Amino acid sequence: MSTRKPSYTNPKPCKHLSAYKLKHGLSGYKSLQKCLKTTPNGRTSVKNPGTEIPRCSSCNGYQGRLYICLICSSISCSSHALLHTQSEIGHYLAVDIERAELYCCACSDQVYDPDFDKTVMSKHMVDLPYSTNSADSIGERLCERKRLGSGVELVDLKKAEKSALTRDQRAKSCYPLGLRGLNNLGNTCFMNSVLQALLHAPPLRNYFLSDRHNPKTCRKRTANRLCLPCELHGIFSAVYLGDRTPYSPAQFLYSWWQHSENLASYEQQDAHEFFISVLDGIHEKESKARNQIRDTGDCQCIAHRVFSGLLRSDVTCMTCGFTSTTYDPCLDISLNLDTSHCSWSDASNKPVKPNDNSSSSTLLGCLDLFTKPEKLGSDQKLYCQNCEELRDSSKQMSIRKLPLVLCLHIKRFEHSLVRKMMRKIDSYLHFPFSLDMTPYLSSSIVRNRFGNRIFAFEGDESDISTEFEIFAVVTHAGTLESGHYVTYLRIKNQWYKCDNAWINEVDEGIVRASQCYMMFYVHKMLYYKSHEDLSRLPISTRIEAFHRVAGCC
Amino acid sequence: MRKSVNRPPTPDVMENQGKEPTLQELINIELIDSGEKERLMELLRERLIECGWKDEMKALCRAFIKKKGRNNVTVDDLVHVITPKGRASIPDSIKAELLQRIRAFLVSTAL
Repeated sequence: MSTRKPSYTNPKPCKHLSAYKLKHGLSGYKSLQKCLKTTPNGRTSVKNPGTEIPRCSSCNGYQGRLYICLICSSISCSSHALLHTQSEIGHYLAVDIERAELYCCACSDQVYDPDFDKTVMSKHMVDLPYSTNSADSIGERLCERKRLGSGVELVDLKKAEKSALTRDQRAKSCYPLGLRGLNNLGNTCFMNSVLQALLHAPPLRNYFLSDRHNPKTCRKRTANRLCLPCELHGIFSAVYLGDRTPYSPAQFLYSWWQHSENLASYEQQDAHEFFISVLDGIHEKESKARNQIRDTGDCQCIAHRVFSGLLRSDVTCMTCGFTSTTYDPCLDISLNLDTSHCSWSDASNKPVKPNDNSSSSTLLGCLDLFTKPEKLGSDQKLYCQNCEELRDSSKQMSIRKLPLVLCLHIKRFEHSLVRKMMRKIDSYLHFPFSLDMTPYLSSSIVRNRFGNRIFAFEGDESDISTEFEIFAVVTHAGTLESGHYVTYLRIKNQWYKCDNAWINEVDEGIVRASQCYMMFYVHKMLYYKSHEDLSRLPISTRIEAFHRVAGCC
Repeated sequence: MRKSVNRPPTPDVMENQGKEPTLQELINIELIDSGEKERLMELLRERLIECGWKDEMKALCRAFIKKKGRNNVTVDDLVHVITPKGRASIPDSIKAELLQRIRAFLVSTAL
């Protein structure tokens, strides 16, 4: 991976190609364009209208590779191609009939010319079958062709306008749709990183792309007031439109500043804080607009429908054993990092238990820690209903209801009461790509505590899927005061690094080695379903790295 | 200033076109006209990818390019070196499947 160059330039044309182009320009390509045909499978080949089956002019064979001369249109098979250049001086360049690829007979090698590819592509577009099925394979095919030129423009503008949609698909066919860099507007990587994660959360994406929040009607309702969902809608449209040039979410930033005035500055902010405040902004607007707070207490706004889960906390009195249970909604779950092996011990009000003195912590370890019964300190006596007194108690958290998208936030920024200072924990945390939350559900936790005997648990969770797949990781590098946020997105099992305006493909090893700060998991079903939706977009796992165009994206 | 006069005469082609096409050629024409050839090729591509043949060939090509040096390899070299190995390593099951398809096609067109 590391040996690959980040961007691919066109290979140098051979001297025959240069000479040909100097002499004939693009006229040969243009006349060939008429003979190009796209098969139902989305492959382009040369069909000579004259003869039915192309045959080599020397041996009359029709099998193997056949090349059509760009100058005299005579056809030679691969073994007679060289002969043709010898008998006809200057007839070096030919086109592979089957594949519509440029070939230099003198060099006996494939040659690359962006202009030629442009010609083929523009013809291709006109022929493009419109059924989704074949569009897929066309995408793959085009992908291969795309490795040659970075910015393939279409020659035939009239036709191009007609089907701008298909053009978008093809022109940047290498990365999945929706991958677009976000410009840094002045220390806004905290925003960009979270936005990238939000943009690729399948339920959110479906909501905004299906126009469920319509800015037009929204504006009518609330004359001219800034609206975060409207801005988010704008970003979604801009990103999924297909344009790959980095986008500046300036309007969104401004709206967010209006919403959270205390954070409005060009200073670095905490990504998690931003995440919460954005969801807040969406909730505020949406719930007001829809008046949809039901009797159940569940807010029907998109932010809560997607991210909100329910935490159960059981507080047990250490004296009489009475347990009181409370449920709290949550937008994310903040997890303590296991800091037992760190230099100074934590004395804050959030006790951290040593986690089997393992040197490297895991996300599962953090979740275990989160759901472990925890003795509250003597300074935190709670009122027990049974004893009617303040008592020592123990508390255990569990997850009553899992959200659609599970956001796990690692508390890397630690506040120490003793030292009266903050510090950042840089330690590595291992996290799985597939996560089963079953052990952390209230049903499992309560069952473990009470045993099956007196297990009485209201509500049945068995039918709810507990398997999650990761789709985004927000990482933080640097110190408490200044650092940089980068998001890794996982689309179709391929990881992409979103660093402000730049998007690159990365190995999963790099993601595993990163310092994760926020992790976004989505229901396994939704993760794979979202790929089915995207499957008509031209991305294939089979396409190897050298087929891609890096750089511009 | 091309001299089209230099072009060699092509009487052979003219001669051959008058001849009755062989059975193989007839089948080929029928396959192409009906679009079956394209479908077969797509099927074959799929199967070869599925069984890992394509990756295997890719690895062979890479190894060859590495050995020869990146700038000293032409597509023709690759074709010549890899083709025999490629032909030899196509799984029999795939050959059988394609043969079956071709047979079925021939029966259906009653050639």
